[in-house]
Amino acid sequence: MSGALRFNSMHFMPYVYLPDNHKDYKSLWVSFPNKFYDPEKGHELYNRYLGELVMADRLGFDAIVINEHHNTVYSMMATPNLIAAALVPQTQNARICVWGTPPNFMQPNRLAEEYAILDVMSKGRLEIALPLGTGMEYWSNSVNPATARERFKESLKIMLQAWTEDGPTTHYGQFYTYRFLNPWPRPYQKPHPPCYVVGTGSPETIEIAAELGFGYASVFVTQQRARELNENLRQRAAHYGHTLRPDQLPLLTFVYVAETQERAEQEYIVHLQRFFEDYARTSPQFLAPPGYLSIDQLKTRAAMADKMHGGFDFQAISKSFFIAVGTPDKVANQIGEWSQWMKTNHINCVTHVADMPHWKTVKNLTLFAEEVMPRLRSRVQQPALRAAAE
Amino acid sequence: MSKFVRETYTVDGVKTVVHTAGSGEPVVFFHGAGTVDGFDFAEPWTEKYRVIVPYHPGFGESGDDTTFTDLHDYVMHYLELFDALQLDKFNLVGLSLGGYLAAKFASEHGHRIKKLALIAPAGMIDTLNPMLDILAVPGEQVPGLLVSDFEVLKKRLPEKPDLDFMADRYREATTVARLLWERPGDPKFMRYLHRIKMPTLIVWGGEDKIIPVQQAETWRKFIPNADIKIFKGAGHLVHLEKREAVEAVARFLG
Repeated sequence: MSGALRFNSMHFMPYVYLPDNHKDYKSLWVSFPNKFYDPEKGHELYNRYLGELVMADRLGFDAIVINEHHNTVYSMMATPNLIAAALVPQTQNARICVWGTPPNFMQPNRLAEEYAILDVMSKGRLEIALPLGTGMEYWSNSVNPATARERFKESLKIMLQAWTEDGPTTHYGQFYTYRFLNPWPRPYQKPHPPCYVVGTGSPETIEIAAELGFGYASVFVTQQRARELNENLRQRAAHYGHTLRPDQLPLLTFVYVAETQERAEQEYIVHLQRFFEDYARTSPQFLAPPGYLSIDQLKTRAAMADKMHGGFDFQAISKSFFIAVGTPDKVANQIGEWSQWMKTNHINCVTHVADMPHWKTVKNLTLFAEEVMPRLRSRVQQPALRAAAE
Repeated sequence: MSKFVRETYTVDGVKTVVHTAGSGEPVVFFHGAGTVDGFDFAEPWTEKYRVIVPYHPGFGESGDDTTFTDLHDYVMHYLELFDALQLDKFNLVGLSLGGYLAAKFASEHGHRIKKLALIAPAGMIDTLNPMLDILAVPGEQVPGLLVSDFEVLKKRLPEKPDLDFMADRYREATTVARLLWERPGDPKFMRYLHRIKMPTLIVWGGEDKIIPVQQAETWRKFIPNADIKIFKGAGHLVHLEKREAVEAVARFLG
């Protein structure tokens, strides 16, 4: 890929009808009672959200991004491949990014098959991220968090073998045995759809991505940490003989565009606040099931969590994370600066958060596509980016 | 000061710390899934016995072995440690998870156990009186569930949030998860309990909030010769709450 910028539109598909007493619950994940889920409202939301993703394709976003979470209002995509299958025939050009199903929660041959089916159905528009899964998912699925990383590595090996070696082959491992690994169909893209490891930058997952030469999609890390993570990954990948392209290191940013700065903040901040305070709310226990983190990581994260006490402060959070809110000029300028600073040309935009209504989502998608993208694309071949791409 | 002497062994590559005190017939104590309760409670036993308290791999002062994924790995570990300690025949006392391990060891190597005492042992699948799934309980709630009288435990806990203490508990929970996350109960374990023929004492706190005291009778169905002693007013850590429970074990050992 050249230095041309690429724009994704990412959706979490949250369940937005929270009960009035939801603040009584410490966590809206794992144990939040599913009696609060109303399938009739869920039906309306699926239709609406699928429409918003299809709209992103029609407006010219380069990719649409979905992902997987369990037992939570945060996401209604417990099985994102079903969502992707619904999107394939409704979209024309956008790449479909399932970022993604944690391989630990599926038989790896079956996940390789599902991804191959989507890739063939979409004529090679599929991209995949391979998450370990948040700590919360290990309370919701029947998989041991203490052996999650070993299982994850074995799953990846099986999937890659399934895609890249002529079958039937065999696999005899610690967690899985395949006497005939021979999945039909095989992926449309060769050797396989683009793959990213996704995570918050633990050294263990960085090492996995580096060794395989995969991209890394960092989520919910600070700007500073995201940059360190990218640098670290480039170095570790080089150690294994891989040179990462800029597009392999997508920059995740929240975006909201409006006519004026005031209006953008007035329309958006309330939803961003609910995203952080409510939809992402969970407990330390659920974040770190036993064995999910190394002791070093546990201490690092516990110390970090202590520092982050206090109420939601938009100005503070905007300085620390990638959050672009404002006029087309402001948003374009910020993303332009960040992409150079992060040495990436791949911008993964969260275009809907929490209980943001449909009209704001449509407005945001439209203004971003029609006002922000052209501003940034007219600055093609920015020197720093071109250098990074070469 | 503790009378216990600390020694370090390397057992098949795993650092294993053993605390020993007293002289006489050997008594081995297997601790439970956490090591906050310590082992000073066992000092009365040292008057008549050589009390041997090893830290299991993955707990307390011993090292980790991430390949231990089954309780049987611990049985094998202890066969090797007991060889190193030149322990042929001995008394065995196990608490909670350590009780599960002690019963498993005794069902496989009964000829080496003179007498067996199980204090609120884990491992029994008793659908009418199920054990609380402690892995699913938020860490901050666990101490309150372990005892009836919180003062007994309070002095062993940090006064304010302590990162190292939390990390130690997380490490021990990780070790437990490796063993029990997917399969908290093993029906095969119960199948072979009838092989426990040596004199056996089952000790329980009457108000145990982790493993219901009713399980004592379930254990007796599998180990018919066992005696049961229940201490009213005590919780799961009956050995900390009731000195009489520690004395009852001493009397049983003879």
